[in-house]
Amino acid sequence: MLPFTYALRNLFRDPSRLAQTVGGSALVVLLLMVAVALNEGMDSVLSASGSSKNVILVGKGSEESIERSEVHLDAESAAATSIRGLDGRLGTSAVSGEIYYQAPLETGSGHKDQALLRGVLEKALLVHTKVRLLEGHFPGPGEVMVGYLAHRKLGVDADELSLGMPVKFGDSQFIISGVFAAPGTVLESEVWFDRNDLATLTQRDTLSAITLRLDSAELDDVQVFSLQRNDLELAAMGEDIYYSKLGVFYQPIKIMIWVTAALVSAGALFGGLNTLYAAFAARIQEMATLQSIGYTRFALLASLIQESLLATLTGTLIACLLAYFLLDGRTVPFSIGTFTLTLSPLVILTGIVTGVLLGTFGTLPPAFRCLLPSLPKALRSS
Amino acid sequence: MSFISIRSVTKSFNKGKTTITPLEDLSLDVAKGEFLALMGPSGSGKTTLLNLVAGIDSPTHGELNIDSRNIAGLSRAELTRWRAKHVGYIFQLYHLVPILSAYENVELPLLLGKLSKADRKSKIMAALDLVGLTDRAHHRPSELSGGQEQRVAIARAIVHDPGLLVADEPTGDLDRESADSILALLSQLTREHNKTIVMVTHDPKAAASAHRTLHLEKGQLIEQNLQS
Repeated sequence: MLPFTYALRNLFRDPSRLAQTVGGSALVVLLLMVAVALNEGMDSVLSASGSSKNVILVGKGSEESIERSEVHLDAESAAATSIRGLDGRLGTSAVSGEIYYQAPLETGSGHKDQALLRGVLEKALLVHTKVRLLEGHFPGPGEVMVGYLAHRKLGVDADELSLGMPVKFGDSQFIISGVFAAPGTVLESEVWFDRNDLATLTQRDTLSAITLRLDSAELDDVQVFSLQRNDLELAAMGEDIYYSKLGVFYQPIKIMIWVTAALVSAGALFGGLNTLYAAFAARIQEMATLQSIGYTRFALLASLIQESLLATLTGTLIACLLAYFLLDGRTVPFSIGTFTLTLSPLVILTGIVTGVLLGTFGTLPPAFRCLLPSLPKALRSS
Repeated sequence: MSFISIRSVTKSFNKGKTTITPLEDLSLDVAKGEFLALMGPSGSGKTTLLNLVAGIDSPTHGELNIDSRNIAGLSRAELTRWRAKHVGYIFQLYHLVPILSAYENVELPLLLGKLSKADRKSKIMAALDLVGLTDRAHHRPSELSGGQEQRVAIARAIVHDPGLLVADEPTGDLDRESADSILALLSQLTREHNKTIVMVTHDPKAAASAHRTLHLEKGQLIEQNLQS
């Protein structure tokens, strides 16, 4: 085998080509890391938002969208009294009838954007167990409680949605009474109103859905209730199943992310291959000389791959550093919430594997072109 | 017994729809320690013959024995292994690896074996000493003159002690003075180290350094001159 220093020194033969290879591979690796982080972040927030212990009751035929669902107000108390084995505290069953709404919300600075609004009563905390008040108190009339990442969804600074700040919905002004966290879930991007306030403002006399938290009861028990109370026209489904179905809804977006990453990567890849073709083509005679000395084509291929790997792994390292400083912890809003990009082991592994594949398989076509000509012909090449 | 024995060797290849035969039915013997020069016009087949003897190429027909080993039927990989032990190749344009120092260029054939670093060093320094370049060991090719580069190339060709040296116009790119010193070095290698040398040249003066000169034309041997 050729010494490793041969591969190392070859890297610096042409600094501009080295910069192209390192830069191109960094771009490809970073793009794929972003694509994986986006998909993983979206999947993670959707799967964390649904609990297997929670069941949602929605209006029959509205299983796909809580927003379009309408549930009679009486269904909440009926469910609380009829279904045995629900979770609860101090005699209150963990049953939360909620109004779910998407509408523009105006912050104190006058910025107006689409927000995710949820009208709740305090017992909502019995079913949404990940929700923790960071500061302030649960909203009463004329007040709202904002999720920790709601400002990202609205596209404003966190200060604008801090305690005591005003927000306007329609012509009505509300004061932020609390800030809550619900780590890793879509709830963190929501603005919670007193349910009666939201019902009045949206002129609704129905709920959007009822969330129940199970203790000894099972999903079947809730489904039996929905069948027994046919008059309420309810459909029951596990909260986790609802969010996993939402994941399917976002599949086209994920595919678009991959397609975009693939197209840009393909461009960078062809550019990189072109650079390698030029770099290796200039060394056909040198490769032939080494063969005439007694180095096998396999040994030379290994050295060329070493050389490429050094460049692509340097690019991978740069991509990982860029991802760490620019990507890790960044929140991305989407239609039903906000998710956080994380440099998870899978994202890092994707980057490393991409770098290794670029360095090995990307080297093969130009290397073959360099090593396949007959030795007499290669020795004569200039 | 000849060191190189060539019997009815033909080399032909296809170029498009045409079959080209640079060597046809050639037979030749070269003794151990002999310095042989090959001359002839362009396209006469001398480089083809040199490549066959060096194991760089394989004949289409015929028998090609080097040091009692028939290399005519060896595969490309087998030829590569054979060359690593038995052949040193000297090129007209030296073909040194530009990113390596003279020392590292000479070391290249030794890295194929299992010598220790110390053993490699002693062989490299001996080879560089033989070509008179110990003081240039750590210079890169770009820091050497043409004559010095060719000396490094010769050191690289002899460092692993092959029985056969093949040289393709080794003085073709050098001034007269450098050329003379390279030819003197090649003569010394046959005389003092018993190397067999096959050299292609266009230069009659270079050919005069050899023990024997063969003239080729259209792939066939047309004349032999023995130097006194």
